[in-house]
Amino acid sequence: MKFSYSWLCDHLETDKNANEIGEALTNLGLELESLIDYSEYSKFVVATIKDFRKHPNADRLNICKVDDGTNTYQVICGANNVKKGLKGIFAKDGMYIPGTQINLKKGKIRGEISEGMLLSERELNLSDDHEGIIELLDDFQNGTSAVEALKLNDPIFEIGITPNRGDCLGVRGVARDLSAKGVGKLKPLNFKKINQLEFASPIIWNINNDDNSCEYVVSRYFKNVNNSKSPEWLQKKLISLGLRPINALVDITNYITIDLGRPLHVFDADKIGKKLNMRLANANERILALDNKEYTLDKNTTVIADEDNALAIAGIIGGDYSGCTDDTKNVFLEVALFNPNSVAQTGRILGINSDARYRFERGLDKNMVIEGLEYASYLINKICGGLVSKNIEAGKLDNIEHKINYKFDYFNKTIGLELDPQKQIKILKDLKFQINKSNEKECEVLVPSWRNDVKNKIDIVEEIIRIYGYENIKQSVPTVSIDEIDKIDNSSTNKKYKSIKKLKKTLISNGISEVITFSFHSIRAQEILKGDKSLKISNAISDDQSYMRNSMIFNHLESAELNFKKGFKNIQLFEIGPIYNSPQSQENILSLLISTEENTNSIYKSEEFNFYSLTELTSILISSLNFDIKQFNISRSTSNTYHPGQSAELFMGKKLIARYGKVHPLIMEEFSKLKNCYAIELFFENLPIDSISRANSINILDSQFQFSEKDFSFLFEKEQNLYEVQRYVKGLDKNLIKNVEFFDLYAAKDLGDDSKSVTFRVTIQSKEKTLEEKDLEQLHKNILEKVTNKFKAKIRG
Amino acid sequence: MDIKKVLNEVTKEIEQSSSQQELQNVKVAYLGKKGKITELLKSLKDLSLEEKKSSGSKLNLLRIEVENLIKNKFNDLKIEEINSKLKNEYLDISFPPPNSIASMAHPISKTFDEVITIFGSMGYSVAEGPDIETDFFNFSALNIPENHPAREMQDTFYIDDKDKEGKPYVLRTHTSPVQIRTLLNQKPPVKIIAPGRTYRCDSDSTHSPMFHQVEGLFVNENANMGDLKGTLIEFCKQFFNVQNLKVRFRPSYFPFTEPSAEMDIAYEIVNNKIQLGQGDRWLEILGCGMVNPIVLENCNVDTNIYQGFAFGVGLDRITMLKYGLTDIRSFFSGNLNWIASNGFTIGDF
Repeated sequence: MKFSYSWLCDHLETDKNANEIGEALTNLGLELESLIDYSEYSKFVVATIKDFRKHPNADRLNICKVDDGTNTYQVICGANNVKKGLKGIFAKDGMYIPGTQINLKKGKIRGEISEGMLLSERELNLSDDHEGIIELLDDFQNGTSAVEALKLNDPIFEIGITPNRGDCLGVRGVARDLSAKGVGKLKPLNFKKINQLEFASPIIWNINNDDNSCEYVVSRYFKNVNNSKSPEWLQKKLISLGLRPINALVDITNYITIDLGRPLHVFDADKIGKKLNMRLANANERILALDNKEYTLDKNTTVIADEDNALAIAGIIGGDYSGCTDDTKNVFLEVALFNPNSVAQTGRILGINSDARYRFERGLDKNMVIEGLEYASYLINKICGGLVSKNIEAGKLDNIEHKINYKFDYFNKTIGLELDPQKQIKILKDLKFQINKSNEKECEVLVPSWRNDVKNKIDIVEEIIRIYGYENIKQSVPTVSIDEIDKIDNSSTNKKYKSIKKLKKTLISNGISEVITFSFHSIRAQEILKGDKSLKISNAISDDQSYMRNSMIFNHLESAELNFKKGFKNIQLFEIGPIYNSPQSQENILSLLISTEENTNSIYKSEEFNFYSLTELTSILISSLNFDIKQFNISRSTSNTYHPGQSAELFMGKKLIARYGKVHPLIMEEFSKLKNCYAIELFFENLPIDSISRANSINILDSQFQFSEKDFSFLFEKEQNLYEVQRYVKGLDKNLIKNVEFFDLYAAKDLGDDSKSVTFRVTIQSKEKTLEEKDLEQLHKNILEKVTNKFKAKIRG
Repeated sequence: MDIKKVLNEVTKEIEQSSSQQELQNVKVAYLGKKGKITELLKSLKDLSLEEKKSSGSKLNLLRIEVENLIKNKFNDLKIEEINSKLKNEYLDISFPPPNSIASMAHPISKTFDEVITIFGSMGYSVAEGPDIETDFFNFSALNIPENHPAREMQDTFYIDDKDKEGKPYVLRTHTSPVQIRTLLNQKPPVKIIAPGRTYRCDSDSTHSPMFHQVEGLFVNENANMGDLKGTLIEFCKQFFNVQNLKVRFRPSYFPFTEPSAEMDIAYEIVNNKIQLGQGDRWLEILGCGMVNPIVLENCNVDTNIYQGFAFGVGLDRITMLKYGLTDIRSFFSGNLNWIASNGFTIGDF
C-alpha cells in the first residue's frame, strides 16, 4: 500500500513529520517498507549561471560564475547544456551528493578552482538522466530550496498490510489507525451528498441464479457526463503513486479505491444491456478484461453480465468492452459487497492480482458501501457534470453488529503486564470501539464495522497492546523446571539428535564432508530409481525438482559430478536427511557417497577403495552407534541402485539397518565422468534409540592371563554366510573364545566353482588362569569338528 | 708377568676393532676359555698364598677393566653401525603430499546444534513432524482456512496424491504443524522446539524452494508475552554471541498467533560488513506470538486453563547473518569447496 504524505493529511491532522509517522506505522503493525523523503534536499538551492568561459586546460569543461542568492561561486562544469542565465540546482562544498554517494570537496580541476556543483537529475536520484544539469523552467529566486523548486515536498510511504488488515487498504483507514496511536486527529470526510436524484436508473439489477457470491449491490446511473481528463489535483495524486491517469471516471474509481479502500466500478451505460445480472460463468465463457488479456472462465466464476455477455469478473476486474472512455456519455456505477472467499478463489484460479481483488478478499467495511456510492457520485457529478439517478439495488446490506465480552485481567494474563481498565477502555475508544457496558472487571465491546478481523477477546488484547506499544512489554525468561529437564533427557528426538551428532563426528573424522541437498528428485532420477509415483509435486518449479526423493544417492552423484568438474578426484560426502517412500512414509537416514579415482601418485600410494573398504567404513559407523556390524543378519541387496554382486543389506529382525555397496553400473551411465562410486545408506531410525544414544556400551573383556592364537582354514560352500560362521565359532565357548578374526578368502578355479577357502584366527583367553596345552588342544579339536559338521565344511591345510 | 703390558696390548686391540665381530675375537683371545687373561688367572693356582693375594687382585682388576673396555667398545660400535645404516634410510621430506581438503560439517548442522543446546538450556525438548503434511496440519488446524489470504503469504508446493479428506498433500510451508502434532499427542505443559526442513515455491538469492526453520512452543497455565519476548532476546544474545543487543518487537499477523509479533535486531554497516546488535537499521529475524486460542481449541486444549506462545525462526537466515553468507542457494549446492570454506571442523562442531 502506497500513499503520499499530503494524501494522508487529507484525512489526518498532524504535526508529525514523515519519519515520525513512518515509525508509528511500523509500531502499529503497518510495517513501513520504504519512505521516499526528499526533505534533506532543502540544502540544495536554486542558482543562476551568471557567466561562463571555456576551461583553458580542458575542451569539454566550462568555468561558470554561479549565484545562489547569497554568494557567487566559481564552478567547473562538464555539462553540455551550460548557458548564461540558466537556473539550476546548486550544491556547495561539503554537501553529500546522494546520486554519486560522495561528499563534495572544494578543489582544483585541471588547475582551476571549483567551489561547488550544478546537479543533474541522476545526482539527486530523481531519474537516470545525466545528459545535462537540471534546467528549471519557472523563474525561481536564487536561494530557493530544491524541495520547493522541484516539488519534492511530498514524501511517499510504502507499507506492508498483513492479510487481517483490509481496513488499512485505504488511506483513510491508515489515518484512522494513526489517530488512535496519538499521531494526529482524524478529519471528517469532506464531501456533499447529492440531494437531487432526479430519475430512475434505466439499467436495473435483475439477479437470478444467485450463488450468494454477492451479498449486496447498489448502483446509480449518470446521464450526460463529460468524461475528459481529470482535474490536476486528482492526476497529481495518482501520479505521485506511479499510477497513470486515464480519464476522469476511471481516475475517480481508482482514487476511491486507494482513498477509502473501497473498490467500485463504472460501466459505459451505452455499451451494456438494461438488465444486469450476477451469475456463474458458463463453462469456457471468455472475457477480454481491462488489463487487455482474455480470460477463459469456469463455472465457479461469478460474473456481472447483461442479457448477452459477461461484462466484468465480479470483484476482480472489469471488461474491456464495457469500460469508460473519453467518449462515454452515460455511466452506470456499481458498488457491491462480494463474498471474499469466491473472489479469492476466482482470483487465484485466473491468476489476476487486481487492487479490487486484494481488497475484496480481505473483507470490506459494510458501512462504506453507501458512503463509497455517495462519495463517487459527488466526485463524478462535480468533475463530469450531468444528472444522477436514484439508487437501484439488489440483495440486502446485512450489517451485523459484533459484540465481545471482555475481562480486563485477560490482558494482564496474556501480556504479563498490568494495565489499568480505564487505560484499556481509552485505547479501545480511540480505535472507535464502542464500550456498551462496563464495570471494574469487564465490559462489552462493540467492534467497528471496518474491523471484521476482530472476533474474539484475544483480538481485543491485541488491539490494546498494539496501541499501548510492544516496546512496553516487560521481558522475562521463564525458569527451567526439573520436569522439563527430565523430558529433555527422556525425549527420543533429543536422543536421536545426539546420535546424529555422534555419527556426523565419526564421518567428519573419517574424511567425509557433510552436504545438504534438496529433498527433491528430477524426473530422470525418479524414473531411474523408481520412486513412488504418488510423490509427484503438482506445481514443481522445474523438471529437476519434480518429485520427492526416495533416495539421496542420485543427488549425491550429481554433487560428486559437480565437484569432479571443480577438480576433485576423491569425493567423499554424506547427508543426514529425509527420504520418502510415500506421502505418509518418511525416513531420516544417513546416506554417503564415495567416488575415487585410481591413485597415480607413486610416492603417496594408497590402496584402491573397494567393497571391503566400504564394509569397514560401515562397520565403523555402526560401532559409533554402539552396535557391532557382525550382530546383524547380512544378505545380498536386491536394490536396483547397487551392483548385485557387490552390495549388502543388514537386518535386525525384519528391520533394514543398512544397505551399502557399489553403485549400479546402469546408474553410473548417467554419470560417465565418475568411475568408482560406492554408497552407504544407514537407516539409523530402525535401531533402538536407547542403545544408540548411550555414550558407550561395548564391554571389552580384559584379562591378565596369557592368550593363545590359532588359525583355521576351511573350504566352505561359495554362498556360505561367514557372519554365521563367525557367530557360531564365537558361541562355541563364550568364556574362552575372545575373538574370531577372518583374514583370508580364496576362491579360484582350482577349488571348483562352488567353494571358497576361508581362514580365520581364533583368540583364546581365560579370565581365570593360563590355559594348559591340553585344554587348548581340546578346544581346537572341538572347533574343527563342530564347524565341519555344522557348515558341511572341509578342513584345509 | 707384566699386567701393564697385557693391558696396553689389549687396549690397543680393542681400539683397533672396527666391527662387532673383530671385537668379539679380541674378547675371546683375552677373556675366552683359553684367553690370555683367563690363562693368567688359571696360573695363579701355582703361586704362594701371599703372591696369590697380591697378583690375584691385580689380575681381577685387569679382567674387570678389560670387560668394561670391551662393553663400551661394543656400545660404540653398535651406535656407529646404526648410524651408518640410517644414512641409507634418508627420505625426501620435501616431497609434497597430495592436496587434501578438510572434511567439515555443514553450517546448518552447527546452527541446529546450537539452537538445540540454547533452547535445551531453557528447558525445551526437541519434537518433530513430517515434511509432507496434510492440509489439516499445515493450514486449517493453524487457523488458516481455505481461500484465506494468508495462504498466499506462503507459496505452497502441492503433491498430486490426496489425503483422507481428499485434499492434496502439501510440503510443509513452515514448522508450525509440529505445534498441532505435539499438542494433539501430549497434554500441557508443553515446551518444545522443532527444527526441520520447510518448502515454498520460490527461488532466488534469498529464497530457496527448500529451507530450514525452528518452531518453538511453550504452553502452560501462564506463559505470557513478556516471557516470549525475554526468551527470544535471550536466544538471540546467545546465538549471535552479542550481549548488548538492541531489538525491536513490532506487531504483525499470523493466523495461528494472537497477538502476533515480529522481532528485528539492530545492525550497522562497519567496513562494508554487517555488524549485529547496534545501529539504526533493522533486520527481521523471526515471527512469533501468543498461541491463538482457536489453535489450542483445535487441539482440544482447555483455554480456560492453558495459554502459551510460539515462534518460528528461519535457520538459514540466522546462519547467513551470523557468518556473513550471502547466497542461500550455495547452502544446498553440494559444492565441497563451499563446505570447506564455510563449514566446521570436528573441533568446532
